[in-house]
Amino acid sequence: MTKWMNKPISELHDALVRKTVTPLQLVQDCIDGVKADKGNCFEATAFDQALAEAAKIDDVKPEEYLKGIPFLAKDNFSTKGVETTASSDILNGYVPLFDATAISRLKRAGMIMVAKTTMDELAMGGTGTTGHKGNTPNPYDPERIVGGSSCGSAASLAYGIAPLALGSDTGDSVRKPASYSATVGFKATWGRISRFGLFPFATSMDAVGFFTRNVLDAGYVLSALSGHDRMDMSSSSRKKEKYETYVEKKKTLHRIGYFRAVVDAMTDPIIKESYLRLLDRLKERGFEVVCYDYPEKLLDALYPTYMILSCAESTSNNANLDGIRFGPKPEGTIETYSDYMRKARTRGFSDLIKRRFVIGSFSLLSANQAEMFNRAQKARRLIVDEMNRFFDSIDYLVVPASYGKPKKIAELSTAWSLKPDFLDNILTLGNFGGYPSLTLPLGFEDGLPFGVNVTGRIFEDGYVLGLGKEIEELTGLKDIVKEDK
Amino acid sequence: MIKVTKAIIEECARNLMFDLSEGQADLILEDFSTVMAQIDFLKNIEGVDEASEMTFPYKEHQKLLREDKPVKPLKAKDALNNSQTKLGDQIKLPKVVGNKHDQVDE
Amino acid sequence: MEFEPVIGVEIHVELKTKSKMFSSAPCSFGMEPNSETVPFDLAFPGTLPVVNKEAVNFGIKICTALNMTIDRTLYFDRKNYFYPDLPKGYQITQQFRPIGKDGSVLITIDGEERRIGVEQAHLEEDTAKQIHLNDISLINFNRCGTPLLEIVSRPDMHSGEEAMKYVEAIREIVTYLGVSDGKMENGSLRCDINVSLRPKGETRLGTKCECKNLNTIQNIRAAVDYEIRRQTEILLAGGKVEQETRRYDEANKKTVLMRKKTDAIDYKYFREPNIVPIDLDEGFIYDCVHSMNKLPDQYRKELSARGLDSYQVEELLKDRDFVVYFEECLDLGVKNPTTLWNLLMVEILGYLNKNSLSLKEIKPTKEQIVSLSDLLSTGKINSKQGKDVLSEMLQDGNDPVKIVKERGMEQISDSSIVEQVVDDVLKQNAQSIADWQKGKDRALGYLVGQAMKLSKGKVNPGLAKEVIIAKIGPCGSKK
Repeated sequence: MTKWMNKPISELHDALVRKTVTPLQLVQDCIDGVKADKGNCFEATAFDQALAEAAKIDDVKPEEYLKGIPFLAKDNFSTKGVETTASSDILNGYVPLFDATAISRLKRAGMIMVAKTTMDELAMGGTGTTGHKGNTPNPYDPERIVGGSSCGSAASLAYGIAPLALGSDTGDSVRKPASYSATVGFKATWGRISRFGLFPFATSMDAVGFFTRNVLDAGYVLSALSGHDRMDMSSSSRKKEKYETYVEKKKTLHRIGYFRAVVDAMTDPIIKESYLRLLDRLKERGFEVVCYDYPEKLLDALYPTYMILSCAESTSNNANLDGIRFGPKPEGTIETYSDYMRKARTRGFSDLIKRRFVIGSFSLLSANQAEMFNRAQKARRLIVDEMNRFFDSIDYLVVPASYGKPKKIAELSTAWSLKPDFLDNILTLGNFGGYPSLTLPLGFEDGLPFGVNVTGRIFEDGYVLGLGKEIEELTGLKDIVKEDK
Repeated sequence: MIKVTKAIIEECARNLMFDLSEGQADLILEDFSTVMAQIDFLKNIEGVDEASEMTFPYKEHQKLLREDKPVKPLKAKDALNNSQTKLGDQIKLPKVVGNKHDQVDE
Repeated sequence: MEFEPVIGVEIHVELKTKSKMFSSAPCSFGMEPNSETVPFDLAFPGTLPVVNKEAVNFGIKICTALNMTIDRTLYFDRKNYFYPDLPKGYQITQQFRPIGKDGSVLITIDGEERRIGVEQAHLEEDTAKQIHLNDISLINFNRCGTPLLEIVSRPDMHSGEEAMKYVEAIREIVTYLGVSDGKMENGSLRCDINVSLRPKGETRLGTKCECKNLNTIQNIRAAVDYEIRRQTEILLAGGKVEQETRRYDEANKKTVLMRKKTDAIDYKYFREPNIVPIDLDEGFIYDCVHSMNKLPDQYRKELSARGLDSYQVEELLKDRDFVVYFEECLDLGVKNPTTLWNLLMVEILGYLNKNSLSLKEIKPTKEQIVSLSDLLSTGKINSKQGKDVLSEMLQDGNDPVKIVKERGMEQISDSSIVEQVVDDVLKQNAQSIADWQKGKDRALGYLVGQAMKLSKGKVNPGLAKEVIIAKIGPCGSKK
């Protein structure tokens, strides 16, 4: 166990201001944690750069909340001079020439990147078992998944290796693993944080997200990350805010909604009880808690809609991975350019990725597009329209972030789910509508964490964090790190 | 709709510039039977045909366009630093014959 | 059986912006290979497209010139295919919502105007350049991402000449707007032409062939006419035209097969999710439209209203610099446009060609050129003197009025002096007067010449001529 890195940013910041620790000591502590990692959390490291940056910082002022604090980034953030592979063989050896905006904004706030974390290959997966470095299991039970695709980021927070790790969230890739790792996972409104430098999976749903140990830290990190970026036309030019003030002042809205279908479908008694109890306690705190009949058909549509849209977008988004300008050179005899591309791509992608690409590509063929891709786009419209109707009168959707213990790795299936449980896919609502969405710890079941999720209207990121703070106080679950036994 | 067959799956893969390993086409064929059932499910949702296709999560249009001011470009050496197939300051490939609009079956 | 050829043209116009369509990399040409890129142009993961305002401005200008409707919201789409010159594996274009649609352009065939429909125009990005050597190809990404506007005509043309005139009209418009070099020979304007035949009277289109590699305006006519002949022969022999792409072989003046279109590639078009819809505000569109250069047809109207004939107008229009210069001189109040035209298009153009100079480089100001033109047209000096004055102006940049004065060239236009001279001449040339009166018209020239001689070339010959006729009557009066 590290000495400092198991603490939240808030405590580290105080220590830096009081000079009881130096940025260099923090970075060294983080490096020690990365080196001692036994959870397969890391792809690449940036130790020398990090030490050099830390050495430059003499002084941290009280208003410089993030300065001098180490962080980790999922390996699908472009990092200048640090190999970035998105846990895929097709990008082995790729050393980017530029930093993603999320990275450069954290650096500008004085934070220091120490290492890159493992993920499901190209962020396409939810188990943390499909990256080229193998499984990144759950710190609370190595036989189980921590979830994905931001597996390394979630696990390293849980292990206490760093107080902040960047992730990306296309379906629930930050918010689900946060639920399984007792961390705080936040996905901002689509367009609130620049995606420049984030390797794309499904552009129309991709969002930068991150893991922290408590909601206040999340507020500060969001303030540093958000705002328009000239490099990303989809980044909103709406004014950025001081999101931490929502947390500090517990600024919230008042109407909380839940879905009747969700409560009816829940089978895990412990999670169900904790969730209903939380709703009761929120009511006691003065919130109005209302039941909403979100149509079950639309909930059942979440999985197919998500899979078709994400596979289709990803096949195009990853067409640049051909081994020509970057990535490993294919081996064997190469007689034509298509030989070159085909050999590079055949070797570079796992079978799972290829399966998704084939299905995505098939759904975009001109003869199929209307019935597959476009129909999924239309289903998305219905799903979002209904969600916006919900938000017409209700300020938040609060649901459990996971509905059972994380799956056992040995029991995973790679097949396309025939009868998907909508509970497993409920968090994709946040991506379909681009809503801000926060997962934070709700409880433990047999020592395994589960979380609760708060989703709000677009650009009401601050209010989502404000309610997160209320819930954090009610549960008392914050700053959790897996204790070494 | 094109009927999904093993041959179609293999053609899709070929057009995506990769080969499928042994047995994968069969697995994808199985996936497809599920996918098609789910497409039917979507088809039967009331109002889906009348809905407009959604690309962006919400309607918020952009007004800002980029000013036409060039930035300092990359040096050729840096631009190609990650490439494993180059000759001098250019990317080198086996002679590209035919045209992009030829299908890729040489 | 008689056949009607149907021709449609797709033109790619390279827009002359400073930076690329979707990235801030500079767009200059002839630089070292791969020295004009930023990470987006090489499709490094995570890079995103950002639309160039100037490219949109140029697109709006062209669409306006082609009488098109401008879409108030810009959308982009992806065209997916794998090829080494396309680093992202897709091209960003406007498949579903082109920036402009439903326009037209006027062409003139045998003095008659014809309106050719323009279906749509869309913004997109160019691909990288490949150089093919013996057994390898080299890829240079400098051109990759250069803005293009693709202009798609309706199948409204029926002959090689129409196709040629259509392309020429578009070429002229884009160069006059200053938004493209419009040079076919260096690829800044490229066109593909679809040719099909159908029986006269039939409304359905026949099977088309696409012709590529047309790198001069003249080749367009040649290729289309060849293709019409080729397809006619096939059909007359009872055969069927196959859909294929053909290349114009300039050396042999014919089109040759490139590939058959049996298996057209599926581009899997879908909306580009990285570019949220862009609302073009009316102020921006207004500024684009109102900062447009004058178009060739506008010049045609204005110049013929000022008395230039169509030959003179077309000669001027060949180079926008000249027509702009000419109109600026007109604005300075030149007295006789034809005199000015001769000065500019004969004397000055000759001088520029001989010395490989451009119009911007000459020493005299426009005011001085106008002043010289007026000296000529009002008869203050004659054309030979005019040449001498111009030559000195071009050499030293001196003012023509000053030169004329210094050299004592000024013609005598005072009618009383001219009358004296004429009287002297008539006294000494009774024979010529008689010849004139008998109908020998050459006698008049002789008499004017004598007046010039007597006055040492200073008498205004036009005026002298008038005075002589007034005194001796019309030609052949005593036949």
